[in-house]
Amino acid sequence: MSGITGILRRFPSAQMAWRNLGRNRVRTALAALGILIGVVAIASLGIAGAALQQQATADLGSLANEVTVSSGADSDEEGVSREQTEEIRGLVTDAEVVPQRTDATTVSSRGRSARVSVTAVTKPDVLYDVSSGEAPTQLQNGALLTNSTARELGLELGDPIEYNGNVYRIRGLIGSEQGFGGGGDELVVPLSAIDQDHYDTVTIVAADGDAAVAITETLNERFNRDGRDENEELSITNFADAQESIGSFLDTLQVALLGIGSISLIVASVAILNVMLMSTIERRGEIGVLRAVGIRRGEILRMILTEAAFLGIVGGLVGVVVSLAIGFVAFQLITGDPMGVLTWASLRYLVYGFGFAVGASVLSGIYPAWKAANDRPVEALRG
Amino acid sequence: MSVIELIGVRKEYESGSETVVALSDVDFSAERGRMVTIVGPSGSGKSTLLNMIGLLDTPTAGVVRLDGRDVTDFTEDELTEERRTGIGFVFQDYHLLPMFTAVENVELPSRWDTSLDRRDRAIDLLERVGLGDRLDHRPDQLSGGQRQRVAIARSLINEPEIVLADEPTGNLDRDTGRTILEELTRLKDEENIAIVSVTHDEQLVEYADRTVRLVDGKIEGQ
Ligand SMILES: Nc1ncnc2c1ncn2[C@@H]1O[C@H](COP(=O)(O)OP(=O)(O)O)[C@@H](O)[C@H]1O
Ligand SMILES: [Mg+2]
Repeated sequence: MSGITGILRRFPSAQMAWRNLGRNRVRTALAALGILIGVVAIASLGIAGAALQQQATADLGSLANEVTVSSGADSDEEGVSREQTEEIRGLVTDAEVVPQRTDATTVSSRGRSARVSVTAVTKPDVLYDVSSGEAPTQLQNGALLTNSTARELGLELGDPIEYNGNVYRIRGLIGSEQGFGGGGDELVVPLSAIDQDHYDTVTIVAADGDAAVAITETLNERFNRDGRDENEELSITNFADAQESIGSFLDTLQVALLGIGSISLIVASVAILNVMLMSTIERRGEIGVLRAVGIRRGEILRMILTEAAFLGIVGGLVGVVVSLAIGFVAFQLITGDPMGVLTWASLRYLVYGFGFAVGASVLSGIYPAWKAANDRPVEALRG
Repeated sequence: MSVIELIGVRKEYESGSETVVALSDVDFSAERGRMVTIVGPSGSGKSTLLNMIGLLDTPTAGVVRLDGRDVTDFTEDELTEERRTGIGFVFQDYHLLPMFTAVENVELPSRWDTSLDRRDRAIDLLERVGLGDRLDHRPDQLSGGQRQRVAIARSLINEPEIVLADEPTGNLDRDTGRTILEELTRLKDEENIAIVSVTHDEQLVEYADRTVRLVDGKIEGQ
């Protein structure tokens, strides 16, 4: 405190402002509390948004190199034909092309049953990461099952599982948090397990997101454009697009969250306006004396603006500390890594929150300051 | 030469549809080393006159000269500067800042001029009004008389030519009032300043070198 006093001695307006805030501590604390809440609203909502964004990016990141092909809107076929698949293989050279057939079934074991989606593929190792067991290049008469489903049904590696009249042995368990939207119950069987001629989807796994976008373009050119007419024979999607649209949705969400936060800061600055107005009215005579003994209008103005700024700085600083704590919790809950908050992408909301707090407080101080500075000293002294 | 001079000063206040003439055709002057006391009944225009002398208000008509310079048409900012460098004020209600110590209150009018450090002069002035052992006391730790002494020390911090005191003893008992006026008289001689005080207490007129009597906004005998 003596350090502050020493510095303030050289800036009389700031010293006056500081002392005045100490005069009615309860009022000062309440005004700063309003600002604190505003900062916490802005900063913690912003940080939570950043955590969501980071998690979404991480989830989608693993899928961004995949292109999914299925039957198009203008196609007469039920899925993707063998001929089309061969043609895709011809067009796409540096990527794995994995045709799939899909189904849904109910799997039972030891009296318990679970509804699962069934995917029949040739190369499960390209599409799935297993948490235990293995994902072989060919399943033959083996199967993969999501971890959580296996736990639910009390199934382990090597246990038999029946689908469509055939028995498969569980060779691997798929990590339950596999990719965005992961966690759904899934059974993976050999391609031959589903008896149909066409494929429901064909997944193309490219080297990276850019390659996936290029493949999408090539395939669209071949299958979906007839001269200048659009004719969607195959629906070709990649997650780079999905990532972009989810990204822009999250951006919108972020703006909405910040908007909510800003409203509470506006409420807080109205409280500051009120407090500053009350305190300048109470001190009218005192300010009149200062003006009488030769203190300039500009100095009175600066003194009261400084007072408002101090309220913003004090409320803002405490708000930043509280928001950082909330940020750690939000990152722990959303991404599982509390230290993830320590990046500019989320820390910047602390800077914004603090900046807005000081800005809003000073803005609220302008009218009371202007009013006090321009009060004629004779009038102020008469009371 | 007069420090301050008012020539034919008139002051009117508009209150509603009525015009109140608070001062009419007043001539006034004050010199260094002299105390002029303005007396008169309540509402006779004493405070209004003191506000004109202190450049806190401007006359409706007439001329105000400070050190021979016509300051009648000065802007508010120019008048503020003249008050800061040339005029000290003592008020009936002391008007000290409650969050500041005695010495900080005394220093206050000099603080915004960063080229000055008047801490030593502030201490010296407080010692001269007998408050050398109360430098770091806050106003609420001081008696009325002590507070008014702090206010007197404050009025002198910027080495003014003139000190104005509106009912400086109005809130004090008679004995304390006397000591305050003795203090003012002594400092007036030491600092060679002009003092203009206002009082409604006829007993205190004995400290004045000259007395001006106001009745209904006019100086008696003028
Ligand atoms: N700001 C003002 N507006 C209207 N009337 C005023 C104002 N100031 C003073 N007056 C009037 O001027 C007259 C003189 O007032 P004042 O100088 O305060 O008298 P005193 O100090 O002698 O008691 C009174 O009638 C008072 O009501
Ligand atoms: Mg009066």
